[in-house]
Amino acid sequence: MSHVPSTYAGVTDVVAVLVLLTEFAMLRAPFLRSQVRLYQFQSLVVTALAVFVAASRHIDELYVLAALSFALKVVLVPRLVLRLLRDADVDLAGSSVLGVTSMILIAIGVSAFGVLVVGSLRVRSAALPASALAIATAVVLVAFVLIILRADVVSQAIGFFSLENGVSVASLVLAAGLPLVVGVAFLFDLLVAVVVFGVIMRVHHGRAQTLSTSDLDRLKG
Amino acid sequence: MGTNVVAPQIVQALQVLTILLGAPLVSGVISHIEGRLQGRRGPRILQPYFDIAKLFRKETLVTNESSWVFLAGPIVAFGCYLIVPLLIPVLTTYGLPLGYMGDILGGAFILALAGFAVAMASAESGAPYAQLGASRAMTFGALIEPTILFVVFAVALITSTDLPYALAATVRSSSSEMVRPGHVLAAIAFFLVVLVDTGRIPVETHSGTLEFGMIDEARTLEHSGPPLALLKWGSAMKQLILYTVLINVFVAPWGLASTGNLGSVLLAIPALLGKAMVLGTIFAVIDNLFSKLRLFKVTEFIAAAFLLSFLAVLVFFAGGG
Repeated sequence: MSHVPSTYAGVTDVVAVLVLLTEFAMLRAPFLRSQVRLYQFQSLVVTALAVFVAASRHIDELYVLAALSFALKVVLVPRLVLRLLRDADVDLAGSSVLGVTSMILIAIGVSAFGVLVVGSLRVRSAALPASALAIATAVVLVAFVLIILRADVVSQAIGFFSLENGVSVASLVLAAGLPLVVGVAFLFDLLVAVVVFGVIMRVHHGRAQTLSTSDLDRLKG
Repeated sequence: MGTNVVAPQIVQALQVLTILLGAPLVSGVISHIEGRLQGRRGPRILQPYFDIAKLFRKETLVTNESSWVFLAGPIVAFGCYLIVPLLIPVLTTYGLPLGYMGDILGGAFILALAGFAVAMASAESGAPYAQLGASRAMTFGALIEPTILFVVFAVALITSTDLPYALAATVRSSSSEMVRPGHVLAAIAFFLVVLVDTGRIPVETHSGTLEFGMIDEARTLEHSGPPLALLKWGSAMKQLILYTVLINVFVAPWGLASTGNLGSVLLAIPALLGKAMVLGTIFAVIDNLFSKLRLFKVTEFIAAAFLLSFLAVLVFFAGGG
């Protein structure tokens, strides 16, 4: 059990764990604004991972991807969401269905499930750190928990965006040689999602004067 | 080697004596630094020794309702705190004869027994605040227990044993062991455990006099004289024991004696106390930077600690760590 992972595996593991921890922090964050900041930090970490992989595997295309993802996920998307929040001017604190401790415990269970499932797939190879894939799966699952349990549009949008971060970690670690076009397509997927969520936020706030989705189950008549 | 090699039994006794006599000093340094950070002059560094000596000279007052348990509790707890230093690497890198009596869990059990004895004693006092403190301390103690278990699991996964000496040796063996994510997560989780168990700021104001927020402090409200001295001394020792585990097992197991040489054993004592004071300074800074959590928010803090220790184990299962 006590073999020490290589530097490459060590760094990717640390980054994956950091991404997972920020995902948990988003789950816990009481203010919508701090959730956006956490997403910004998470994206920064993922960008750093892209640069690291590019440098250590000598894949120049990844630098382009890292620059794009920095511009998009660290600068543009958080600014857009924060601006939408400023315009909405209501409910600074998000609402959630459960208490923080129960949410964390559920997310712990879900992430353990993800890690064990990926572990049982036995994707092992000397060159690829499989642990990062397992943890990235856990990130995606915790993002689902975030989307399901937090009842406001911003958390749901941030949950969706951070899900994309988890997918990026997995693709960077396992398929670093991915053609640039595919990577950029992922990013533009995200951009479309931002537009969609922006519209949803605006429309929902325009109709309900709130960002919380818990009012949506009321009967209309 | 040669003439001035100390027998392992003497080194073992020195471990206990270091904790016993060094603990008030470390507490004194921390409260002095804390005073400085708050813009006060702070108490003298040796003040805890004077406090303990003063309390030993005072008479013992016992409420009418309480039985012998009230007086036995502090003594049992103090005895427990004297046993734990036998099990953990305080001064040496190699295991001492009695060091294999128990593993980390054994040490944790003995610490828990001490907590139980103090809780029983304060429950016996019949005073509402002491009982409230005892009940809170037991509740949070039970909540933090899973975190301790998972930290031990992470240690066991790293070293294939849960002897504290083995982990310290593994950490010392190479610097890449220090930065393994599993180890880092377990170390941070244990840091949070120490914060909770020593009653420091996000959980409790240890120097406050407001009963509503009290947890550990409230338990000793009814004791006086020598039993109170034992309780105060005991909590200082518990603090130093936890610091020692954090330092010598998880974070910085350097400066320990690797042979029974008299010089290196004697040098290990100031090294440990110095490292404990540095760690105590970090705790004092945390005390200054953060505010106390509301009592019902403490569970969130404990959940965060549990999350870290759980992730430590999970990273190992994922194949990394």
